[in-house]
Amino acid sequence: MLTALIIDDEAPSREELKALLAATPDVEVLGECANAIEGLSAIHRLRPDVVFLDIQMPRLSGLEMVSMIDASALPQIVFVTAYDEHALQAFEEHAADYLLKPIDPQRLARTLDWLRSGVRHSPRAFPGSTEKLRQIPCFGRNRIFLLALDEVEFVHTDIAGVQVVGDKRQGTTELSLKILQERTSLIRCHRQFLVNLDQIAEIELLDNGAAEIITRSGRRVPVSRRHLREMKDRLLIA
Amino acid sequence: MLEEINHLALIGSLMQQMCVYLVIAYLLSKTPLFAPLMQVTVRLPGKLVCYLVFSGFCVMGTYLGFQIEGAIANTRAIGAVLGGLLGGPIVGLAVGLTGGLHRYSLGGFTDAACAVSTTVEGLIGGGLHLYLLHRHRADRLLSPMIALGTTLCAELMQMLIILLMARPFDQAARLVAHIALPMMLTNAVGAALFMRLILDRRETLEKYSIAFSAKALRIAERSVGVLMQGFDERNCSRMAKVIQEETGVGAVAITDCEKLLGFVGVGAEHHLPGTPIASAHTRHAIDHNEVVYADGATVPYCCSVTKDCKLGSCLVIPLRGEENRVFGTIKLYEPKRKLFSSLNRTLGEGIARLLSNQVLAGRIEEQKRLLAQSEIKLLQAQINPHFLFNALNTLAAVIRRDPEAARQLVQYLSTFFRKSLKRIGNEATLGDEIEHVDAYLHIELARFADRLDVQFAVPNDLLPLRLPAFSLQPIVENAIKYGISQMLDAGTIRISAQRQAGVLTIVVEDSAGLYQPTPGGDGLGMNLVDRRIKIRYGAAYGIAVSCEPDCWTRVAIRLPVEEELAPC
Repeated sequence: MLTALIIDDEAPSREELKALLAATPDVEVLGECANAIEGLSAIHRLRPDVVFLDIQMPRLSGLEMVSMIDASALPQIVFVTAYDEHALQAFEEHAADYLLKPIDPQRLARTLDWLRSGVRHSPRAFPGSTEKLRQIPCFGRNRIFLLALDEVEFVHTDIAGVQVVGDKRQGTTELSLKILQERTSLIRCHRQFLVNLDQIAEIELLDNGAAEIITRSGRRVPVSRRHLREMKDRLLIA
Repeated sequence: MLEEINHLALIGSLMQQMCVYLVIAYLLSKTPLFAPLMQVTVRLPGKLVCYLVFSGFCVMGTYLGFQIEGAIANTRAIGAVLGGLLGGPIVGLAVGLTGGLHRYSLGGFTDAACAVSTTVEGLIGGGLHLYLLHRHRADRLLSPMIALGTTLCAELMQMLIILLMARPFDQAARLVAHIALPMMLTNAVGAALFMRLILDRRETLEKYSIAFSAKALRIAERSVGVLMQGFDERNCSRMAKVIQEETGVGAVAITDCEKLLGFVGVGAEHHLPGTPIASAHTRHAIDHNEVVYADGATVPYCCSVTKDCKLGSCLVIPLRGEENRVFGTIKLYEPKRKLFSSLNRTLGEGIARLLSNQVLAGRIEEQKRLLAQSEIKLLQAQINPHFLFNALNTLAAVIRRDPEAARQLVQYLSTFFRKSLKRIGNEATLGDEIEHVDAYLHIELARFADRLDVQFAVPNDLLPLRLPAFSLQPIVENAIKYGISQMLDAGTIRISAQRQAGVLTIVVEDSAGLYQPTPGGDGLGMNLVDRRIKIRYGAAYGIAVSCEPDCWTRVAIRLPVEEELAPC
């Protein structure tokens, strides 16, 4: 039994793929998403075996989305695209499978055979996975949005997940602190906090050797002893 | 009585002397040496020529004079005064000094007085030169009457100086009584005539250059743009006809590097366009990139087609294009009985330059047009696959759900491709363009389903207006590709048009507000449409983009349209 998730911004596309998969009894479609931001959340929530992923989607492309997922949490990805010469080249280089729209049912059957066989591709770097992120996909109250990185003051984890705090708005993101640390200019200042150096207004040194950052909008961010030295180095404070 | 006769005789001989003097001046006026004298020059070479010529005349005046009572009656003053008048005080001084020192070297009891007076005469001329320039009356410098008056005064001055300086006084007084009147008269008249000579020469040259410019202008005017349409037989024949009519030469031919393209005039019955170049002169002009002039005398000219040809002389001028490469020739002919006028020879080279530039401009224009056209074609070819496969994918889904809707979609798809594949050099009506865009948007509506809303606000009376085909669709496609399809929520595309004061403005607005001006990238289609409109209608028209981030992006296409006549 294979569980699948469909991420595509075009309704007829999702509809068609769903109809094709419905004809295969051992594939269960767990859900469908109309953009990559919802997709990130659904992947973490539903843990599908395979994701059928469109490439060209609003704001965040399928390729960008994959690069934001921890390798450990990454399901099998099958890219689905109508026409994208460059992307096709990229898949071949990275040995990921892909389907062309309109989807040929026989080609889809071969892909499913291969997925069932359980030959799992080792986690690999997708195109763009080393590029710095310029914005962070977030869920706010009743909406999804992309928060530009220079707007972000700090990021921290709590029970609800990873919180991104900007000067005007904040939201929850599906990206892990690890990915954010690797792919953005945010600096680790605490086990649960990353901070944007550009948003620091002052650093208050505490008696116990730790410190507290006060951001431009007046929020307080803890700095652990472990990370204070590195923090100072980065800011060229002796 | 005896005195009277002597006076008349002296005037007579001085007049004769002056005639010889003027004949020499006339001959000199035919040489290029005279050119700097015809205008008031301020540059050193001109002044130098002025000095040399008038010093020469000064010395000549002395030599042509004759001995009288131990002195020399002469026309030296003309050189000194005119030198000063035309060359200014320094030249005047130099001429006077030269003439004076030369006179001094010949001796006689008035030698010193003559030397001083000649120098003073030069200075008088120079002083007047300065005065007139100062008063901005430089034109009066060449007036014969001014020359007459000045020389009269200068001679008067000379007589006074002789009286003052020459000794013994009584001999000087007798001499002055004897020569004053004849010398003053002849010198003054001589100076005026000399000046007249200069003026005549100048007028002749002006007439020549006026005739030259008039002809050149008329040829330029009548030939505007003819060769820009292409360097071929039809245009070359038209061009040759214009040149032949305006220059009045016997015949005119235009060739490329292989064959005759146009021939008009005497001998047209056997010089046929399309025939290969036979003349050795033409081949030489092409191979060596130089002007060949076969005047029929020193360089023999013989028609290369038939012995009976009436043409007797020929001027071949190469036409030069990029990097000075020869791409053809223009040939002017005169019949055997007629001489080649120098006017037409000079004009010929100007015409060759005119033609070369026209052909060059035409080629550049053509290249620009081809480039814009091929880029648009490229654009069509580039964008369609994206659209095509997405459309087919949508169609596949719709067929499953609603075959009737799918049939309609196929109709829209075929309308869209039919319009896209139409030759893009052509014009289309706004109605055609809207239909094209409408078919396109229907497919996108199916593709984006609930995410897209489309509004049209185009008044019906604007639909017949004409604009370059394929101007609107790329803009709408951009609005989808970089606008609506990048929105997380639903969006709207609004297309409106209005006409005001002969300008049609079509506005395509999307509700995404994601426009980012990146050169070449997102605006490829838009840039091409803009360029095409600008090439066609001028820089005042084309595309303007405005954007309110996250609210809207507005693309306005502006182009001129002909106001239709008001219904009676």
